[in-house]
Amino acid sequence: MPLLKIDNKEVEIENGTTVLQAAGANGIEIPHYCYHPALEIVGSCRMCLVQVEGVPKLQVSCNTIVTDVPKERKVDGKYDMVVHTQNDLVVQERKNILEFLLLNHPLDCPVCDQAGECYLQDYSFKFGSAHSRFDEEKRVRPNEYLGSQIVINHNRCILCSRCVRFTQEISGSSELFVESRGYSSKIAALEDKPLDNLLAGNVADICPVGALLSTDYIHKNRIWNLKKQPSVCQDCSVGCNIDVFYQKDDILRLTPRENHDVNGYFMCDIGRYGFHRFDNIDRVVQPMVRNNGSFDFMGWKEAIEITAELLKGSNGKTAGIVSSFHTNESNYLLGLTIDGLLGSLPPIKDEEITYRSGFRISSERSPNLKGMNDVSGEILEDISSAITSQSIRGIYILDDGVDRELDDSWKTLLDNMDFVIVQTYAMTELAKLAKIVLPGLAPFEREGTITNDQGRVQWLRPSIPIKGESKPDWEILMLVRNALQKDSEQFADLGEVIKRMSDQFPDYAGVSLFKIGAMGIAVNGKNT
Amino acid sequence: MSGFRPVLTEYIQEKDCHTLSFYRSIGGYTALEKVLKLDPIDVTLEVKNSNLRGRGGAGFPTGLKWGFLPKDTKKPKYLINNADESEPGTFKDRLLMNKAPHQMLEGMIIAAYAIGCHTSFIYIRGEFYKESKILEQVLSEAYENNILGENILGSDYHLDVVIHRGAGAYICGEETGLIESLEGKRGWPRIKPPFPAIEGYLQSPTIVNNVETLSCLPHIINRGAIWFNSIGPEKGPGPRLFCVSGRVNNPGVFEEPMGISLEDLIFDRAGGITDNKQLKAVFPGGSSSAILTADEALDVNMDFEELVEKKSMLGSAGVIVMDETVDMVQACLNIARFYAHESCGQCTPCREGTAWLVKMLTRLVAGGGKPSDIDMIFEITDNIGGLIDFSKGSFGKTICPFGEAVAWPVRSFVEKFRNEFIEYLPQERIVA
Repeated sequence: MPLLKIDNKEVEIENGTTVLQAAGANGIEIPHYCYHPALEIVGSCRMCLVQVEGVPKLQVSCNTIVTDVPKERKVDGKYDMVVHTQNDLVVQERKNILEFLLLNHPLDCPVCDQAGECYLQDYSFKFGSAHSRFDEEKRVRPNEYLGSQIVINHNRCILCSRCVRFTQEISGSSELFVESRGYSSKIAALEDKPLDNLLAGNVADICPVGALLSTDYIHKNRIWNLKKQPSVCQDCSVGCNIDVFYQKDDILRLTPRENHDVNGYFMCDIGRYGFHRFDNIDRVVQPMVRNNGSFDFMGWKEAIEITAELLKGSNGKTAGIVSSFHTNESNYLLGLTIDGLLGSLPPIKDEEITYRSGFRISSERSPNLKGMNDVSGEILEDISSAITSQSIRGIYILDDGVDRELDDSWKTLLDNMDFVIVQTYAMTELAKLAKIVLPGLAPFEREGTITNDQGRVQWLRPSIPIKGESKPDWEILMLVRNALQKDSEQFADLGEVIKRMSDQFPDYAGVSLFKIGAMGIAVNGKNT
Repeated sequence: MSGFRPVLTEYIQEKDCHTLSFYRSIGGYTALEKVLKLDPIDVTLEVKNSNLRGRGGAGFPTGLKWGFLPKDTKKPKYLINNADESEPGTFKDRLLMNKAPHQMLEGMIIAAYAIGCHTSFIYIRGEFYKESKILEQVLSEAYENNILGENILGSDYHLDVVIHRGAGAYICGEETGLIESLEGKRGWPRIKPPFPAIEGYLQSPTIVNNVETLSCLPHIINRGAIWFNSIGPEKGPGPRLFCVSGRVNNPGVFEEPMGISLEDLIFDRAGGITDNKQLKAVFPGGSSSAILTADEALDVNMDFEELVEKKSMLGSAGVIVMDETVDMVQACLNIARFYAHESCGQCTPCREGTAWLVKMLTRLVAGGGKPSDIDMIFEITDNIGGLIDFSKGSFGKTICPFGEAVAWPVRSFVEKFRNEFIEYLPQERIVA
């Protein structure tokens, strides 16, 4: 292993590591713009120049590779390379590069969405000059749409070409290119192929400055007003790791969170803009019971009592319907509560998409099909004929809020029940048929674990607050179960439910929120 | 230097000198016949021993460059003939392609054989339409006469040569920009390492050599490395095509030994300054070399080392002569404008800095200059091209040498003719 001396710090690193990576791994920040770990190295921004002893020119650290050198070429007899990242020469060079980058920049941070998370802003503040020596006219260009949801502000663009390389290397769709040459260069989309692929939103994330903007977030808020919650995307079974940016009750944007076991650095636009599905839903926030065709509100105590009575009265002839949109814990507790037949709502399927880079959108467009199957016990495929043959009288549905068209067999089935209990957060078609509606939590309110299609258990964390009187789904089910069996467990929190679940299913043995952490863990200790 | 007979351009005055039959009549392709019987390693060694240095501008030793090719690779190797001659003041490769195209082709085949290449490209400047037509003719003659294709001249060596016309960008003469362009991409120079000899065209080992460099090869094979070394200075011998243009009575291409004095070139070969004016300044090696003042120009030989001592370079040996009537500020702006126009725009300093220089110089010429502008030009050029310290070789802040190519000449104008820049500053007026 080569020995690198970087800013008087001795570090041993893997053969073939770049200086930029080695610095990052050792807590030394080397400013850079064009380098992105997922993209080809072009070395064009020149911001990451460092001084390598024995080399006359400053070197771009993104493309300077440290390797073992023969003994006679070692510096001071032991170092394979000696690098300075913070000496006067290097700092002065950063200042020079920043000066060039800012020549034509509008310096409009006060109205720029990137402000607060902008590397041009940060590095200018840290290394740049407070005065401009540029007395000429600035290059001014109007904004342009590159695709239906991406706008470019050319005046802020530093031509790092990350976005162009993204469309070439990650999405493989190559919509973007650099138009013209030299000083006239600008990022453009092909005339007949705008930037409208399902990964397009990522270009706004990887843009190190405020040039590429998502129309969905543009001028909505300031980043420092928002809270950030790491969580998991719930729009397909890949389970991309995300950060949820929210303010009070509102989600403002989702961005991908780096996880090399799941999504790498990116997420798709289905998930990115998926939260808007919940913008205008008909929320259910209080328990309701149907009396003579219309719903009456009631308190939780009463609602749980009525639910338990109905379940008791059916003498075990109740079926449970689990959901691949719900967490492992909720599905698991439904199985425990309904000691009978289990079925599931029809899956939501769509095209499976795999990109050039390997990035994937699963054909299973619910987040937790695998987890649901893992922890619910036996789920019957043809639940309706089983219900008929076993003369089931009642049904408890863990509704997923998806407004699906129910086919006639489901309608007939539900019409023939003595009672239908629906636990839901939205007034869906199913909820409208219910005797009792129990208000659970919407996707960005709920917490729990979900298992992606590769068998990785991940922690779904809540961001926005609970609405009205709704309760966590696992808690509702626990209350129902407690009402049915006086001696059943009282779980103090989600962790206890997970503990109970992991004790029962060997694949989930040892699973805990602590172990799952931000990055998730593989079921049975391995990724399938 | 008396007694020197042109080598590369000996027959260019003859009728039909571009044809195969003519070339054969003066002993053409005999070097190739000889080479095909040799071990490729010995061919490379002969070229190495000749101390031939690249004629494109950088002056890199040709044999050494070939030696960088990986020895045990399963990938194909490529030879690219860089015929994208775009350096202002340089027009020698065009002459060679017009008048001695078979000599160049023979050189290409020799080089290709030496490095083990079976597909070779001629990347020709897009504007050289006439030359590309000549080359097409030359290639078809060569294929018809078993000089290209399978079993060349009865050997078991085969080679195909493809002509690729550039689309007109200066930067595509830079070898990695050229390779990108040849691959059908935007002509953006690549970051090195890897160098083309390891990963070039289609990620395969690639050698890029200039037209004039390749044209030297048949002569090195026929007359030997010792003969080649006997011409001109030790560290960069051989014949060289000097292009003299600007304010001279007899502009043109002159083949002379390396190391001829610049004075001889300008006042003897090129017939002196027009209208008996005074010499003012000279670009010795194309517009990307730093200019020499008249005094410096009259005291220098055209050899790699001497010009580096003068903080300039031999470059493409394109000598551009300026007389006393030339306005150095306007000339400087002209050069800056050219480079700003040709900057590929990839690296920050070059993209932004070249345009800044043009804006500032334009303002200065228009009468809006400020005293601080003059020193600012130094700062900008240094920030584009690096602090130019020849003793340490410390220059270059960009991916390719384009940064230096703009910084050196522009800086040299201000350095050597500062007074002319000051004269452009508006007269200070006392405001009552």
